[in-house]
Amino acid sequence: MRQRLSVILVSGTLIAMGGAAMAHHSFAMFDNENQIELEGIVREFKYTSPHTFIVLEVKAQDGGITVWTLEGATPSALVREGWSGKSLKAGDELKMTIAPLRSGAPGGMWTPQGTRFRDGKAVVISP
Amino acid sequence: MIYRGSIWSVALAAALLAMPSAAQVVDFGKYPDLKGQWVRPPGSPNNWLRLAGPAPLKPEYQKIWEEIQADLKAGGPGNWPSTFCIPAGMPAMMSFYDPAEIIVTPETTYILISHNDDSYRRIYTDGRDWPAEPVPTFAGYSIGKWIDEDGDGKFDVLEVETRFLKLPRSYDISGVPFHSDGQAIIKERIYLDKADRNMLYDEITVIDNALTRPYSKKQTATRNPDPRPVWHSDHCSENNPHIRIGNEPYFLSADGKLMPSKKNQAPPDLSYFKQTQK
Repeated sequence: MRQRLSVILVSGTLIAMGGAAMAHHSFAMFDNENQIELEGIVREFKYTSPHTFIVLEVKAQDGGITVWTLEGATPSALVREGWSGKSLKAGDELKMTIAPLRSGAPGGMWTPQGTRFRDGKAVVISP
Repeated sequence: MIYRGSIWSVALAAALLAMPSAAQVVDFGKYPDLKGQWVRPPGSPNNWLRLAGPAPLKPEYQKIWEEIQADLKAGGPGNWPSTFCIPAGMPAMMSFYDPAEIIVTPETTYILISHNDDSYRRIYTDGRDWPAEPVPTFAGYSIGKWIDEDGDGKFDVLEVETRFLKLPRSYDISGVPFHSDGQAIIKERIYLDKADRNMLYDEITVIDNALTRPYSKKQTATRNPDPRPVWHSDHCSENNPHIRIGNEPYFLSADGKLMPSKKNQAPPDLSYFKQTQK
């Protein structure tokens, strides 16, 4: 079950990341105006072209698991912010602010700025 | 006493000097230093709408663009073919989404671009004419000419014209459309900043029948100071979750299932699959 944010957080950052740096496709399919917060466990961190992915297992209120497919920047863009394929691993617990798919399916867009470990620590300290 | 051997040696040397040399000496000093890795300065834009203003579209194509924007708002891909791994082509290739390398030879300037399948351009500077039977490509066919603007014996500007551009294409993710006749021409002036030789400009002008007038932007790139920069390789089909079935876009989930991109989107037509009885 998703938790909806009552306030848009760091919307400028998410929109900025959806602009020039990521040009494989438009990110308008993700709802930047209605971002949501997710907490879950990393099933997989795909450090691939043309986009990286965080596959996040989110426990619903009824105890069920929803698997979220979260698309991010290219590796060549992330590396400029200090990320690598080893920045996340299966089992990491994250708290994320994402722009969800407009369709309502469990997918969305993630950004480094909107991603932290569950204890609040940054995943990567940007250079 | 003159030995016969000496006579033959002198004759051979004279003959060799008279022959045209297969290895020509090229004066690369007359070309600007374009070596290295060119990247977009951090935070600087490359979007056409931001750099060039609204596209001067004819009414018919303005309507098409409004439909494209509506599709984007609904969760669709708009008009940006690289969503589905079709090369972005020109002019988008020169937006420095990712680093590029420029290699100058007297006959051809090559631009290698590490983006969306490591694309490249050839700009022919050997004085050739346009091909009689052109085959359109996404990068187009580019003919260039080096210009010595200040008359100091060194080239300052590479003027380029590109034709025979294959559709589909757009300028960038905004989806501004090109005319369906595929007759667009792109002109460029590529040059270094006179005060800062590590700053590159590409003045790009599109002449297209969808436009009421030429549409231009000035793209900036800066040279990476690292003499041995890292070149990332980008392959669109490696893990692209964006699928098009018919005219509908879908999103492939991490567990390999199709998800809708748009609200209330219907699933794809499965009529070729055998329907099993349960």
